[in-house]
Amino acid sequence: MNVALTREQLTLQDEIRDYMARLMTPALLEELHGEQREGGGPEHRKALKQMGADGWIVRSWPKKYGGQDAGPIEQYIFCDEVIRAGFPYPFLTTDGVGPVLAEVASDEIRQAVVDPILRGECVVAIGYSEPAAGTDLASLTTRAERKGDGWLINGQKIWTSYGNVADYVWLAARTDPHAAKKHHGISMFLVPTSSPGFSFTPINTLGVRTNATYYENIELAEKYQVGPLNQGWRMITEQLNRERLSLVNHGPCEVLFERVASWAAQSDADSGAGKVIDLPWVRTNLAKVKSGLEILRLVCFKQAWSMSHSSLDMAQASAAKVYGSEFFVEAWRLLLEIVGQAGALCRNSDGAVLQGVLEHRYRSGSVLTFGGGTNEVQRDIVAAAGLLMPRYR
Amino acid sequence: MDFSLSEEQRDVQQLVAEILAQEVTVDRLKAVEAGEERFDHKLWLQLAEAGLLGVAISETYGGMGFDFETLCLLIEEVGKTVAAVPVVPVLASAALTLQQFGRPEQCERWLPGLVRGEVLITAALTEPGRDNLATPASRLERVGGAWRLHGHKNMVVSADRASAVLLSAHIDDELVLLAINPTAPNVSLVPQHVTTSEPQFSMMFDGASVTDEDIIARGASARCAVQSMVQHTLVANSVMTLGVTDAMLKMTAAYTSQRVQFGRPIATFQAVSHRAADAYIDVQNLRLACQQAASLLGARVDATEAVLIAKIWASDVAHRVSQSSQHLHGGIGVDRDYPLFRFCLWAKQLELTLGGGNSYLMALGDAIAEEFKQREVGASTRREARDVPKVVAVGM
Repeated sequence: MNVALTREQLTLQDEIRDYMARLMTPALLEELHGEQREGGGPEHRKALKQMGADGWIVRSWPKKYGGQDAGPIEQYIFCDEVIRAGFPYPFLTTDGVGPVLAEVASDEIRQAVVDPILRGECVVAIGYSEPAAGTDLASLTTRAERKGDGWLINGQKIWTSYGNVADYVWLAARTDPHAAKKHHGISMFLVPTSSPGFSFTPINTLGVRTNATYYENIELAEKYQVGPLNQGWRMITEQLNRERLSLVNHGPCEVLFERVASWAAQSDADSGAGKVIDLPWVRTNLAKVKSGLEILRLVCFKQAWSMSHSSLDMAQASAAKVYGSEFFVEAWRLLLEIVGQAGALCRNSDGAVLQGVLEHRYRSGSVLTFGGGTNEVQRDIVAAAGLLMPRYR
Repeated sequence: MDFSLSEEQRDVQQLVAEILAQEVTVDRLKAVEAGEERFDHKLWLQLAEAGLLGVAISETYGGMGFDFETLCLLIEEVGKTVAAVPVVPVLASAALTLQQFGRPEQCERWLPGLVRGEVLITAALTEPGRDNLATPASRLERVGGAWRLHGHKNMVVSADRASAVLLSAHIDDELVLLAINPTAPNVSLVPQHVTTSEPQFSMMFDGASVTDEDIIARGASARCAVQSMVQHTLVANSVMTLGVTDAMLKMTAAYTSQRVQFGRPIATFQAVSHRAADAYIDVQNLRLACQQAASLLGARVDATEAVLIAKIWASDVAHRVSQSSQHLHGGIGVDRDYPLFRFCLWAKQLELTLGGGNSYLMALGDAIAEEFKQREVGASTRREARDVPKVVAVGM
């Protein structure tokens, strides 16, 4: 057993870190700190295109699509560095939907969508959740009906992040309302956001902006129905499993831990008691974050390693999601405590500490425990798949 | 990065598991516990016969010559059965330290016999009120050309059966690590009654004689040896905790899956299954913490932070999983006719051995503060530390 990264992996880490540092130009940072913090603005689009041209997007893809078959550990390092740099990388497009399209879509769609994705010129939003279909996603009611040679789409989706800037929505719709089980009878569609009948309204959450998207008598050509008809559920769950893995990367927390620890080592404590980091309770808070973070790092790498050996089990993926998401919430709290009352000052405020990053992080962090599959369902999976405990139906 | 076990490691793991599955039944544990002391001598000899006591002892002394990581696999299996064999104090604390820091003639004196199961050596890790082995109150004095030991060691496992007990003391301000025969004159043993019934002894030294042949290391070398002994003991105990909690978790899942209340297995209540799921996550996380610390110690690189993190997790997980297991079992979990209670007692003893988790949390916090204050003066950067693994300066 050897839990250290190889020299090649460390070199890759350095290479990506340097690359991302150059990519994050002042203009891009300015844009990301303004209205378009989730990405999609002109500077962000430009940078994404640059990443595509430099071959970073295709890297993790199979060789047959021009990729390098980068292993899961290398891909984890890539994701981690990109997130660490603060770049809103469209993982759901590049690593979630993209490879699925490459596998099952028609040549026409491949040319029209997959190639632009690899060039960093196309972003796809995810259209799964509906107002009445969240955790119980299979009860979704957006419907696609046959119309001539194509389809007629009607319905509403919610939490469609990137829906305001994306080129397509990867949409789950009911194609067989009479299927025996609600998981059956769902199919996947690619909806161009330029389609007449498509619209969105913003949802401003505590942390980020997302959208509600509306589909009103949208007419789609046959080619936009992707994958086997009425068997979309399997594609959804596979994609969600991939998504779950990228939700709990350790990098962002490590960056914040280091920034707060450095701040505490520089800042004077009250009443001449040395630096903030000299206070025993501050050290304990840092140690709690560090010991949790180190395990998160191992959990993530173990997961990537298991994927590269085709031995990732469901319990492991769900356990990682529960642990990581709940650890983040606790970590933000412990780090905010160190900064103290000023931790509540927002970015752009006079007196903000570390540009108010913790104030923003705790607000946006609260979605993690239910986003990407709520933790109650994940614990159900852990008990059933990891401990073979019976479930109540 | 590789989380897999080598073929040899899997063989060792399987061999230990087979022997323990066959021997360590509930009836066997009860019989051992009904005897004079909780030590399964027959099992100890069986492990010796299979070569397993020498799993991490060099072939020079008749062992298998594997690393600490492989020894940890044996310790985890023992934890899963709470077999009455003192693998941590004997094989991890005492034997590994002697092997790494003892002179060849000292190793020759005890290790071959240990591998054969004929000789037992152990370690005295604490003094009353002092969980830190590096700052003992015990002292070694020169009286008329001979060394005399004065002091009091506490909770020494299997001291009554040992040919030698490794312990730390001071010569003036100089730290020393030595081995002493517990049956020598001016050494008195008093049995102590600990929560698991493990045979532990208080050892009093009132001018006991020590020769130069008994001294393993002095000064800087002794500090390295003591640090190494503490680190290996902490990780070995964390690994034992892993085995203990893993077993409790499986018992809890099995019990709640068949225990019916309100007409259904209680495992089907989410309040039950979710608490079990949290215990599962805890045990998995502890496994990773142990693997990292054991692998770094085995590779002889600086493992200080990883060891602290393993101990912090082990202490918390021991407590949480033990409480959850007892709670989810209900009344039967505290019944001494049902096997769970032994694991709970071991969980608490292991949690407290060498001090509780929060003292190590504070130590980790001090290390972090030191690192970041150093960075402020620009003395070192993390990147350099990461690229070039620090080799622990061992006094050999």
